[in-house]
Amino acid sequence: MCSKNITVSKASSSINTIESALLLANAHDTINVLEGLYLETELHITKPLTIIAYNATIDAEFKGGVFYLEADSISISGFTINNIKSSHIKDISAIYTYKADYFTIENNIFNLPFFAIQIHKSQHGIIKNNFIYGQASLESNSGNGIHVWHSNHLEISGNTVHQMRDGIYLEFVDFCTIQNNKSSDNVRYGLHFMFSNNDQYRDNEFENNGAGVAVMFSKFITMQNNIFKLNWGGASYGLLLKEIYDAEIINNTFYQNTIGIYSEGSARINYKNNILESNGWGVKIAGGCYLNIFKNNDFKNNAFDLSYEGRMNDNTFNNNYWSEYTGYDLDRDGVGDIPFRPVKLFSYIVNRTPETIVLLRSLFIDIINFSEKVSPIFTPDKLQDLKPRIKPIN
Amino acid sequence: MEKYLVIIIILVFRSCSTNPRAINYNTDNCSYCKMTIVDQIHATELVTEKGRIKVYDAIECMLYDLKENPSVVYQHYKVNTYNAPKILEDASTSVYLISEELPSPMGANLTAFKDSLSALNVQKEIGGTLYSWSKLKQKFNL
Repeated sequence: MCSKNITVSKASSSINTIESALLLANAHDTINVLEGLYLETELHITKPLTIIAYNATIDAEFKGGVFYLEADSISISGFTINNIKSSHIKDISAIYTYKADYFTIENNIFNLPFFAIQIHKSQHGIIKNNFIYGQASLESNSGNGIHVWHSNHLEISGNTVHQMRDGIYLEFVDFCTIQNNKSSDNVRYGLHFMFSNNDQYRDNEFENNGAGVAVMFSKFITMQNNIFKLNWGGASYGLLLKEIYDAEIINNTFYQNTIGIYSEGSARINYKNNILESNGWGVKIAGGCYLNIFKNNDFKNNAFDLSYEGRMNDNTFNNNYWSEYTGYDLDRDGVGDIPFRPVKLFSYIVNRTPETIVLLRSLFIDIINFSEKVSPIFTPDKLQDLKPRIKPIN
Repeated sequence: MEKYLVIIIILVFRSCSTNPRAINYNTDNCSYCKMTIVDQIHATELVTEKGRIKVYDAIECMLYDLKENPSVVYQHYKVNTYNAPKILEDASTSVYLISEELPSPMGANLTAFKDSLSALNVQKEIGGTLYSWSKLKQKFNL
């Protein structure tokens, strides 16, 4: 039993729609869709197929979703898919998979999708090198770029997601690698994951998203070599961690965010070799954080390097570079001779009454910060970096 | 002079109302989990007896907040319903469906309905379990 090739072409009299090719195809066939504009929706794929587009565009004309993958081993590549219908009740998608394992979605372009790629209960899939462009705004009802639910062992790499509601949204998604993606200008989150364990996030870029990146209720996470930048806004975070346990956050850059890292209820996280530069707050620790280690990070020119609420809880700050550090290094070992206290008194005042931020840079605040540095009364005694570096490491 | 005093007093007392307000979708953040509220079917609101308003992106976030802070007294408990998004109904008169086929923003698969008839109709289609407000609070150990 050998697999055959079916060609769909606008010029053909017999097979000029993708729907007709789907009806003709047997399991494991290849469908080649040639150049042209196809006005089709509701294409349900119920057998393993490889569908390759050669400059083909599918326009859903805001009438519905396009591809529904309902079998294993389906591959869809090379398409441009435009104009998916939006809805308050249903999450209509350009490509939707349901219990379709070993899928491949590669090299497609999505313009004005409501949801672009939605994966439900489909294991071992690849989402690679796709471009997703929305025009979401605060006022509009928009969907997510790559939305994954209850699906494990996926590779999500090399995708560009721009101006959707959430760029990449993962819920109950384990053992996946998310790398080399660019997620920017989304209304809410560049990346959001919840209840998703044992995942790796590497070499991604999250830029100018309305609320930044928020990750919650997950464990055994690695976030390495990512860039979180330009996430400004009243409630915008480079990286928000809530109830995250046993994670490695290494070699990331947090640049020009309102808050670089916000951590609440999170434990046993190693923050190493990160650069936190020119943020409003470098790191904000809210309550319930235990056994977190901050080591070898560079805190450069943040308005507040560290804001801290709660007890020491075995959180440690060691061997970091702090641009605010004004100590000396007489024995030339690269490490300051006196410890550094990173929490300024002013940050306590701002935490209680956020409106007082307007006093930043005023002479009065500089004086009370200086007096607290000389003789700390309010900031916790043990919250200090005993070996602050003289020069940045990264 | 007295006229200004009366106007000022009226304005001051107006600002102390304990009425619920509309939720600003895409702008407001959940008081519990800090996520931006975008889902118009699941967002909820609480108003304290002093008029302070807390909004949530999901019913489960409101329930978790109630559980963690039992001493706060609320005047209004408001939920959005599946039947009419953006219109806030009273939580105590609403009927709740927990079904895997109808997800909610924080993973509890919990949605409110205005009345039991509409809830039963949807339950017939997609399955799940129905709860009253008191049974729901019991389930969340409140």
